[in-house]
Amino acid sequence: MFRPRWSKVLADLWSNKVRSLLVIASIAIGLFAVGMIASMNLILMQDMQTSYGAIHPANILINSSLFTSDLVDNIRHKPGVAQAQGESTFSLRVQTEPGAWSPIDFKAIPNIGEAGVNQLHLLSGSFPADHELVVDQYKFPDLNAKVGDMLTVELPSGKTRLIRLAGMISDQTIGATGGGGFFIAPLQAYVPLTTADWLEQPKDQMNQLMVTTQNGQNDLTHLRQVANQLTKDVENSGRTVYSSSVRSSNDHPNRVYVQAITSVLYFLGLLVVFLSAFLITNTLSALLNQQVQQIGVMKTLGATRNQIMVIYMVLIFVFGMIAFFIAVPLAAQASNLLLQYLASRINMRLLGFRYVPLAIAMQLAIALIVPQAAAFIPILRGTSVSAVEAFSGYTQSKPPARRGWLDNLLKKFKRLSRAQILSLRNTFRNKGRLALTLITLTLGGAIFISTFNVQGSLSAYISRVGKYFMADVNLAMDRDYRINEVEKALKEIPGVGHIEAWAAARGEIVMPDGKAGDSVSILGPPVDSPLVNPIMLEGRWVVPGDQNAIVLGERFRQLFPNIKIGDTLRMKVNGESDKRSFVVVGFFQLAGNASGYLAYTTFDYLSELTHMNNRSVAFRIMSDRPNLTYAEQKALGEKIYAALKDKGYSISEVDEGNSLTQKTAGGLSMLTAFLLIMASLIAIVGSIGLTGTMSMNVMERTREIGVLRAIGASDGAVLSLVIVEGVLIGFISWVFGTLLAFPISLLLNNAITMALFGAPSAFTFTPTGVVVWLVVVMVLSVLASVMPARNAARLTIREVLAYE
Amino acid sequence: MSFNEPDSLIRLENVSKVFKTQAGDFSALKDINLSFEAGEFVSIMGKSGSGKSTLINMITGIDHPTSGTVYIGDARITGMKEGQLAVWRGRNLGVVFQFFQLLPTLSVLENTMLPMDLCHMYVPAERESRALDLLAMVGLKEEAEKLPAALSGGQQQIAAIARSLANDPPIIVADEPTGNLDSRTAEHILEIFASLAERGKTILIVTHDPSLAQHTRRQVLIADGELINEYVAQALPMLSYPEMLKVTKTVAQCSFEPGSTIAPDVERDSGLFLVTQGQVEVLSTGPKNTTQVLAKLQPGQHFSLLDPNEIREASLEYRAWLHGPVDVLWLSGKALKQLLSEAPKAASALRQAAFGRNLQALPIGLDSRESRLHV
Repeated sequence: MFRPRWSKVLADLWSNKVRSLLVIASIAIGLFAVGMIASMNLILMQDMQTSYGAIHPANILINSSLFTSDLVDNIRHKPGVAQAQGESTFSLRVQTEPGAWSPIDFKAIPNIGEAGVNQLHLLSGSFPADHELVVDQYKFPDLNAKVGDMLTVELPSGKTRLIRLAGMISDQTIGATGGGGFFIAPLQAYVPLTTADWLEQPKDQMNQLMVTTQNGQNDLTHLRQVANQLTKDVENSGRTVYSSSVRSSNDHPNRVYVQAITSVLYFLGLLVVFLSAFLITNTLSALLNQQVQQIGVMKTLGATRNQIMVIYMVLIFVFGMIAFFIAVPLAAQASNLLLQYLASRINMRLLGFRYVPLAIAMQLAIALIVPQAAAFIPILRGTSVSAVEAFSGYTQSKPPARRGWLDNLLKKFKRLSRAQILSLRNTFRNKGRLALTLITLTLGGAIFISTFNVQGSLSAYISRVGKYFMADVNLAMDRDYRINEVEKALKEIPGVGHIEAWAAARGEIVMPDGKAGDSVSILGPPVDSPLVNPIMLEGRWVVPGDQNAIVLGERFRQLFPNIKIGDTLRMKVNGESDKRSFVVVGFFQLAGNASGYLAYTTFDYLSELTHMNNRSVAFRIMSDRPNLTYAEQKALGEKIYAALKDKGYSISEVDEGNSLTQKTAGGLSMLTAFLLIMASLIAIVGSIGLTGTMSMNVMERTREIGVLRAIGASDGAVLSLVIVEGVLIGFISWVFGTLLAFPISLLLNNAITMALFGAPSAFTFTPTGVVVWLVVVMVLSVLASVMPARNAARLTIREVLAYE
Repeated sequence: MSFNEPDSLIRLENVSKVFKTQAGDFSALKDINLSFEAGEFVSIMGKSGSGKSTLINMITGIDHPTSGTVYIGDARITGMKEGQLAVWRGRNLGVVFQFFQLLPTLSVLENTMLPMDLCHMYVPAERESRALDLLAMVGLKEEAEKLPAALSGGQQQIAAIARSLANDPPIIVADEPTGNLDSRTAEHILEIFASLAERGKTILIVTHDPSLAQHTRRQVLIADGELINEYVAQALPMLSYPEMLKVTKTVAQCSFEPGSTIAPDVERDSGLFLVTQGQVEVLSTGPKNTTQVLAKLQPGQHFSLLDPNEIREASLEYRAWLHGPVDVLWLSGKALKQLLSEAPKAASALRQAAFGRNLQALPIGLDSRESRLHV
């Protein structure tokens, strides 16, 4: 037979199931959150690196004039090169629904199924044979098609072709070339190189060279050295190199998003542990409070304080272990679900469901330590109650001898009924418990509200980024046209308002040691253009009269940590051999680390530099009406495309101004979704805490409720007594939560935007979260009080007065 | 009987207890000196709030005196550390509570085993059979596996008694053990205690019910935190406890040499005498100066003397026996008269006690004239 003291542990666990469940739930929720967060983080980091490394991502990427497989073979044998692969990249349009066309980027790859670099992972269907294509899974839904369907693509000549959709693949390298990244990339299609000429591309010719190195795949200096050598080799073969870039094998294009998610998760995970520790403290101190008399009995029977402490520590250990065994599988499953949700959105492949030993170890450590730590003070206090105190009960909350500030305050509200005044007084009776409950709910509420603010800030940030792309339609031509001709053609189209021709060029940074660096997109808007509204981090924007002045994106500061206003940046422009010097006049903020190298100079200077006098390939068009919606912009774009096509213009791309913000918002929506999941978790922790508090309050006041019953309190009166108290606690926490949401929003916002953009973004406080949380906390408060209130109302006078 | 025998099993020396409350200090016990012998079956009586529970809390060590010392056997429990005291108490004292205080989540058997487990008494294998034996002894073996809630109040209290016996302590202390039970069950509980007392256990029962106290061999009365003299209580049961306490405080202790006559004099005019030690012989002097021993008054019995001025006929004489000194408590005539005036409800019974009760000790057939003399 079990020794009675251990029987007591088991019986305590079993006899008051609601209370036990409350304690176990409060521990389990903390463990669940930590387990889920830790598993997610560890799997995210590990799987992203492993699965990205496994596809042999290109370490060096060279864009050049056309070449054939001879050059690729040649490069493959160069020192330091492990694998080399050429591909032809081009953009076409695909019909997504009748009359609706979307840009689609093609990669024509030799031996597409067995590529040695940037390997594709087949998700469904098969790799494409001749005259077939496969499409990446991320934007696959945009096609409104399924594997096996025939798609209509529009060729450069304006002809259309039907091409079979052979399968869906995942390409983890999307966005690796910079220039806006994964989220704003259009549909990605892959065809065998042999199909390129069928799509009106030069036969057997390629324009992009991808190389993996034998070693130092994560050493950017080494990679750049190899890249410089290869660039020279390509140039020596008679081709023009337009750009070259290097990327380490562990630098997944969406790594920054994972880092952002990770930083948020760690922050919230810590808070959840903190909250559940409060919750556990609250629940356990109530448990110990209820056990005071039993402690007295045991002491009278000869139990020492240490023995009693051990009994309760074992009880809490058992609580912790039950919570642990509940939380571990749930956390693993939940993290798996969230990872699956994430994986497709941040374009990574998961290596399958698994339990993460480190996460389990963390959960175990927390299950063992946090409840014991949380219960330590209550246990110490509970077991130090002497037997006489245990029986006389005079350690329990003593009634105040004098009227307190609350009573004086309540006297002023003459309309309050006695029962309401009692509720209000009850609320403030056990101040320690009230404080712990308030802290839990306040923190939960503050985080809940903060998620809305962060979402608001991110949206504000995105719309701010949109200020760089304010035109309704961005038009890119296949070749340069006379500006006044295009303008004339555009003005004939109904709905077209303001038109600007922009200069654009591709630059290649010349490093201080003279070697070639990364590629830069250089834009030259007219100096007084109303279509750019930059966020200046430092210095100024270009002004009339500027010659070789250049304004750089914040990412340059990562590349050149010491760069400052007035410094000179040397670049080769459009693959020319001449190196041009630019004077840095300012830094602007775009989309941080996620964006590529972007720089602005003046239209006049860049036109001159690219020999485009009065000609341009890029046009920005405003509607004659303000504030067009995305759909209206799309319609205008279609109109412009059709009209110019009719006139024989060769158009490369028509882009709606809002498409960038739309697509970026899509990328950030998963972050917001994440924040909301976390906020819900915290709301649950808070409501369990409130339920616990209310149950304990009711349990402690059983006798009092009996007396109220005896003097005529109805069911409704007893119910409202408890519910009013719960709602009041909820309301107070809402007030505090709203205040605390300011600093927490700021912290959370900075953590996310630093990870995403490398810079803190402007902070906005949206009332939505405050209002939503008020509703949520009121509903939670009522729900949390209803069960204890019903229990209270159900007690008979005989039961309560016999309660001893 | 002295209140403080040095070899008593339980001794309280000058024990006081003051509770600090928001309304001010409250003296629950005032300089208590009390002792109990091994094997005594004692009731501690007093009204609610008189300090009786505080008194036994001092004995059980559940509470500590503000001043004074408590000895139990060789142990000075005052000043013991809480943990030390718990173990000592678990092994030496069985405690029975008014509200039973069985742990609700443990079966009756487990409740009975708990003290052995907590105090590491008996080898674990033995504990269950010992607990079953104890339950069999109190007639609860059939209920051993039930939870306390499944038992009646009386059964729960019997289970609590079995639990108090778990570690075979020499002393059992019960605080209002029948306070929550009907009178038949209360009788049964008291029978159990009586049989335990017969087996040599020292039993202290706190009660406010005089009818239950009658079952015990000794009654200790407490009022307002002070002990009522046991002889006063025995002699003047018609008084209220505060009145008894007043008498206790008023009486003077006197000693008489063997054979000396206890007669009124200037100091001891009249009043009431309570025998506390030795025997007092009641003599009748006849017309021919012959004396006859009418009765021998034992400790606990009492007699009164009349004012010498009121003696008109030869009557009774009171004399200390020859075997040793005699101790009496004396309540002066003046004090007695005051008591009569202050306790009108008890006056006639008191008058009877003061002037007639001693005659009960006399042989039946005593001349009615004799008794008239004393009224």
